[in-house]
Amino acid sequence: MLFPTVGRKQWQVRLGWYGVQVLLWTGVILHLIPFYLMLVTSIKPASEAMAMPPTLWPKEPTFVAWRLVWQISDVAQSVLSQPLYRYFLNSLIMTFGVIALSIPVTSLAAYASSKLIKGPLARPLFIFFIGTLMMPGIVTLIPSFLLTRNFPFPLPVAPTIPGTDIAFPTLRIWNTYWAVIIPAGFSAGNFLLFKGFFDSIPDSIINAARVDGGSEFNIFRRIVLPMSKPVYAVTIYFTFGGVWDSYLWPLVVIQDSAIAPLTVAIRRITDAFSYAGTTSPMTAMGAASALQPLIEQGLSWNGLMVLGLLQALPVFIFFIIAREYLMQGVRIQGLK
Amino acid sequence: MAGVTLDHVSKRYHTLTADGRPVTGLDDVSLHIADGEAVSVVGPSGCGKSTLLKVIAGLEMPDAGRVLFNDVDVTRWPAQARGVGMVFQDYALYPAREGEDNLSYYFEVRKRTEEEKARRVREVATLMGIGFDLLLERQVDTLSGGEKQRVGIARCIVRDPNVFLMDEPISNLDAKLRERTRIEIKRLIKAFGITTVYVTHDQQEAVFMGDRIAVMRAGRIEQFGAFDDLYFSPANLFVATLIGTPPMSVLPAVRRAETLELAGTSLPLPPDLAAELPAEPLRLGVRPEGWLLDPPGAALTLPIRHVERIYTERAAYAAGDLAGSPVHVLVPLDFPAQAALRIAPDWERSYFFAAEGEAALRVPGPPDLF
Repeated sequence: MLFPTVGRKQWQVRLGWYGVQVLLWTGVILHLIPFYLMLVTSIKPASEAMAMPPTLWPKEPTFVAWRLVWQISDVAQSVLSQPLYRYFLNSLIMTFGVIALSIPVTSLAAYASSKLIKGPLARPLFIFFIGTLMMPGIVTLIPSFLLTRNFPFPLPVAPTIPGTDIAFPTLRIWNTYWAVIIPAGFSAGNFLLFKGFFDSIPDSIINAARVDGGSEFNIFRRIVLPMSKPVYAVTIYFTFGGVWDSYLWPLVVIQDSAIAPLTVAIRRITDAFSYAGTTSPMTAMGAASALQPLIEQGLSWNGLMVLGLLQALPVFIFFIIAREYLMQGVRIQGLK
Repeated sequence: MAGVTLDHVSKRYHTLTADGRPVTGLDDVSLHIADGEAVSVVGPSGCGKSTLLKVIAGLEMPDAGRVLFNDVDVTRWPAQARGVGMVFQDYALYPAREGEDNLSYYFEVRKRTEEEKARRVREVATLMGIGFDLLLERQVDTLSGGEKQRVGIARCIVRDPNVFLMDEPISNLDAKLRERTRIEIKRLIKAFGITTVYVTHDQQEAVFMGDRIAVMRAGRIEQFGAFDDLYFSPANLFVATLIGTPPMSVLPAVRRAETLELAGTSLPLPPDLAAELPAEPLRLGVRPEGWLLDPPGAALTLPIRHVERIYTERAAYAAGDLAGSPVHVLVPLDFPAQAALRIAPDWERSYFFAAEGEAALRVPGPPDLF
């Protein structure tokens, strides 16, 4: 503990203790204020949600916004072509798809790098994997996008086989769930976390299991995996949060609004609202008229808060479920 | 059970140590361990003794040479197929498993029946003695170091191994527990009569555990033999100074005719010994018990730095310096405090080495007791 109970009789220590308390509580409150405002605004009526200055607690709490948000696609087809739950589902498919692919791939790669590859190649391989962390994602955005069109060619149209007019067979994942899932199949950040953890497992344990007769994969499954729950919790949590909240990449590679994730759908609704409420009457016209019935029934920024909460909720729930392991993981790796 | 033969085994590592030298592997090691024999491998850290063990276990593949179990060439067999049992310095228990599940992993991967597993675990628990079955029910991270190593040893014997391999199994335990576990392991080795290779850096432990002892340095076996061979006929200066506590005193000397010039004093040599030694600078090695106290005639004067009394062994050692080298002399326990001691080497128990290099010129050889 930072401040042992016995030391608190000294006034300097006590002052330090209170100082730390104040700082920590300030941090907690600063983090909670936005969530509180979201929650409160989501149960305000439309006019009060827009009121200036904002009220701290609604005069007449109402769940009208929660109800109306589910009806957006019924009323405003031009803004949202599918019912809201469909976007939830899309996000879930992508998120669990990425987890199902990238966690096994990344952890096995890290295990191999940590325990199986010996000799002169081990280090360059490790550097290569880590090197992918050096490139900012935004730099590779356009090349990556082009690769999803006609993999392995970074071209919008597949080239033809020389001498014929038959196009090369290519992998086309653009505008499918795979466009989100496959490129995320290996995560250098998670690789680093996994490798750090596997490095901390003594070689003698692996050797003991080998002498016991376990095959390399059996050792991984029966000995290493049960020890590694915390690091899996941490990486799965990061992956879940990262993919669930990803916006730019799905926006680029998914055009069909029926398979867009929730983030993209929410952004579309937000745009429609912003135009309807704030910008010039000319641009507002289209979106506003589409949303008019809902606005008349009492939907304004309270609805956006509902959408924001819906977006944040799954990551929060996941955190609560995996809390125990996450804490162990954080202690083990000293991250964050 | 199996005899183990290493036939000109070499192993080089690609990795470098912190100061840029290649990690020591094995350099043309040949060794034959008879079926049922217990062999200790002793040497300073980094001498390749753990590598030797890993090569026998199949955890490292040698670059050259052959490994044979009972005339069967197992050089290319993986560890999984060799049927050895290994005990590790850091216990290497499977942390996510309970004590009993640590023992049962061997049976799980071999698809043996539950009954066989349960029967073997029970047998081993009986062998391991009182209270062992209680350890098996506990999560391994709640066990103390000694308890962990008992589970580790049980895990090793539960399979009826061909060869026991022990990699410094007791050096992480505290002194009292070390003594107890050492006796326990010795008892088990004797009870099973299984071929055992016991690696340690502690020469006393090596002497206690092994029927024969292999002394290693820098990837080579310097000498392999019973304790008496190593003690009385060391192959070179390294073996001579490694075996024995306190270590042998090594003093520079010169033979002139029938005398030995030693630390500024001329000591008369017996004629046959004088004939045997070259007339040039050499080094004299004398063990603490190899000094004659207060001899008649010419003698060295050893200024006493301190006297170390070891009551448990009913002995005391007087320590001092002669010609810049530390000298230990075995004295009676009731040795009175005094400033200096007159001593002379007992020629029958003296070792002679070349001044350059480590070659042994003359060693006393094991005493003829009968």
